[in-house]
Amino acid sequence: MTRLKFTTLAQILSVAVLLAAAPTQAADKMTVLLDWFVNPDHAPLIVAKERGYFEDAGLDVELIAPADPNDPPKLVAAGKAELAVSYQPQLHMQVDAGLPLVRVGTLVATPLSSLVVLADGPIKSVADLKGRKIGYSVGGFEDALLSAMLEKAGLSLSDVTLINVNFSLSPSIISGQVDAVIGAFRNFELNQMDIIGKPGRAFYPEEEGVPAYDELILVARKDATDDPRLPRFLSALERGTLYLTNHPDEAWQLFIGAYKDLDDELNRRAWADTLRRFALRPAALDAARYTRFAEFLKAQGLIKTVRPISDYGVELGRGEL
Amino acid sequence: MTADPHPETTEPGASAAPLGVRLSAAHVAWDHRVLFDGLQVELAAGRWTCLLGPSGVGKSMLLRLILGLEGANSDSTGRVTCSDGAGLAGRAAFMAQDDLLYPWLTVLDNVTLGRRLRGEPAAGQTRDRALGLLADVGLSDQADAFPRTLSGGMRQRAALARTLLEDRPVVLMDEPFSALDAITRVRLQDLAAEMLEGRTVLLVTHDPLEALRLGDAIHVMSGRPAKLDDALAPQGDPPRRVTDAHILELQGELLSRLTEAAGLAEAAGLAEVVK
Amino acid sequence: MNLLRPLIIAAGLIALWQAVVTVSGAPPYILPGPAAVAAAWIARPALFLGHGLITAAEILLGLGLGFVLGIMGALAMAYFRPARRWLLPVLVISQAVPVFALAPVLVLWLGYGMASKVAMATLIIFFPVTAAFHDGLTRTEPGWIDLARTMNGSRAAILRHVRIPAALPALGSGLRVATAVAPIGAVVGEWVGASGGLGYLMLHANARIQVDVMFAALLTLAVLAVTLYFTVDFAVRRTISWQPETLPAND
Repeated sequence: MTRLKFTTLAQILSVAVLLAAAPTQAADKMTVLLDWFVNPDHAPLIVAKERGYFEDAGLDVELIAPADPNDPPKLVAAGKAELAVSYQPQLHMQVDAGLPLVRVGTLVATPLSSLVVLADGPIKSVADLKGRKIGYSVGGFEDALLSAMLEKAGLSLSDVTLINVNFSLSPSIISGQVDAVIGAFRNFELNQMDIIGKPGRAFYPEEEGVPAYDELILVARKDATDDPRLPRFLSALERGTLYLTNHPDEAWQLFIGAYKDLDDELNRRAWADTLRRFALRPAALDAARYTRFAEFLKAQGLIKTVRPISDYGVELGRGEL
Repeated sequence: MTADPHPETTEPGASAAPLGVRLSAAHVAWDHRVLFDGLQVELAAGRWTCLLGPSGVGKSMLLRLILGLEGANSDSTGRVTCSDGAGLAGRAAFMAQDDLLYPWLTVLDNVTLGRRLRGEPAAGQTRDRALGLLADVGLSDQADAFPRTLSGGMRQRAALARTLLEDRPVVLMDEPFSALDAITRVRLQDLAAEMLEGRTVLLVTHDPLEALRLGDAIHVMSGRPAKLDDALAPQGDPPRRVTDAHILELQGELLSRLTEAAGLAEAAGLAEVVK
Repeated sequence: MNLLRPLIIAAGLIALWQAVVTVSGAPPYILPGPAAVAAAWIARPALFLGHGLITAAEILLGLGLGFVLGIMGALAMAYFRPARRWLLPVLVISQAVPVFALAPVLVLWLGYGMASKVAMATLIIFFPVTAAFHDGLTRTEPGWIDLARTMNGSRAAILRHVRIPAALPALGSGLRVATAVAPIGAVVGEWVGASGGLGYLMLHANARIQVDVMFAALLTLAVLAVTLYFTVDFAVRRTISWQPETLPAND
């Protein structure tokens, strides 16, 4: 009888030790560099984090906002972070310049960049831009968008004056210093202008001669695509996107719960406008679409060669939940 | 570049006859301490008055009071009258321990500084006079040099020339030669005595020998609040010879007065006051 | 002028740069080596010279304006006590506020042309001049002022003949500092909104991942800044030739 008690005690103790040991298995750390300060464009990421989906996948994800939007892809390429939120057009140019980057996921599956004019202004169509001043932010790629849009309207870049207004897109058009701005995000600047009382009218590049592209994507280092954390990350991200799609109001509460300073009218409106634009299948890659956009960029002289999609885009396998 | 020294540069010349100066009811408080109160000083016309005393007693304050220069942090009042009844404004020239030559001006431009400051055209005549004075003090070769190339003695000589060009009947000097070596000092004392002859001079000094060589009336300032003793009046015309027995005798007297003054200063717990 | 020394310094810096690239293993899209940057420059010299000229114009205009305003500010503060009391805190605040906060406001008032860039540069330049010159004006050797007053110099005469010449070395110091920071003002102005200039070129090249072009523009700016500084330094020393330099090393 003593022997039985001893064995049971030993079994209980060993189970207890194992149970105690289990929590010490730490989650894998991951650093994700955002493209800009946290905003509704990052909703799937925020929701996935706040709902614990990353944690479920054994990931400890840190979201970092950069000082300079141009840095995250370079830092990922240099191996300082696992993922960066970036832009598809920029990815094509970065790869062309030799950065070892690969697109592994999509966040926002439609373009957000638009050509914006004052709603009650004289410009009713793209053709009306002839002889006008257009403000742009230095993203390196706005003139290509604009050039294609003008071409469709029978104009060229020489018919307009480009003025670099950097980050002051809304102020410059509201104050009348420029007649239009290119590079304004349709979910943000339009709402901003509306709130101030000077609503804008947007012309969408994908409707005016520019092939459709993903505005926000996730990029990783080229030789790290076999990182086992990535598929788990994307699965958790998909869960976040689905929750967002099914429960938009609860998701908004989660968002402002984590970022109280974003609880304002502008973000609320931007949230609503961005909801339908998130990639419902973040890991999926439309190779033909990417190649079509690359050909557009080459024709505009922004990249030298159209590479095979496998060079810079990948669809990763499912990870275990 | 030489010019004949003009005779009028060494005498008051066309300007007034020797001027006596009286400072009365002089009061100076520095940093809430009264340095002197109700003090009276007479500067005999055309003579040298020397003022000695321990450091911090207020000699320089007194000189500045006569000149009409306020010191920083000081509260000074007094009445200055001249023997012809008018005030002293514009009739006194100043020489300090520092030659005060402006480093960005040549020696000649420094000498003619007064004209420039008053906006009077530095006419050819002024320039000639200046060159003449420079020759008198032995600096004719340095007219176009900058002060930094000159030795201490040469710079004070230039300052002397500048003082003389001002051609004022009263000259106030605050230890002008104390920064120079002994030989240069004696030479400059001789030069000053010669060139300032006929003008009323107040010389503040801490060298008793210098006072005895140059002074017609020598006062020792002592105590707090400070007072002036009766003047010591050596015989003979300045510059006197140091080997003169009379001078050596007076030196003893002067030194004992100074020692007493220093004792009073210590007793009054005088801190080193920046003059 | 001894050209050998600057050439040796330049060669040394280039060698150091290459060493940093090699040792740190930094990829070319973060830190290109001197050879790549030189190649970018040689491929399109007109580009860098053209934008360089724009930035140079902004800097020179800013220097000129900043110099004049700096002198005026210093004189105002030295001669009018209310100016010192009310103006000085405002000036200090203008320096404490980061320029990128003020830049958009300036652009709003002055537009996107050269005016706002010159205004930015002036804003950064004038304060060192004001501070240094004011210091020089108020710390004139008291003996010199005493002498001038005994000579019946008027206030204006004392300012013109005593205080200002005596304050020139301090002014020169302030001007040197201003010259060193002038390029920063011009470039920040360009970052806010410009269509030309080296700052704009750097921004544009960075966005297009043309990092070698960005560094070539940076290098052009550096050469411009150094040339400007030593030119100003030379001019200042010539003007104040009456003040001897005594090197402490020789004590």
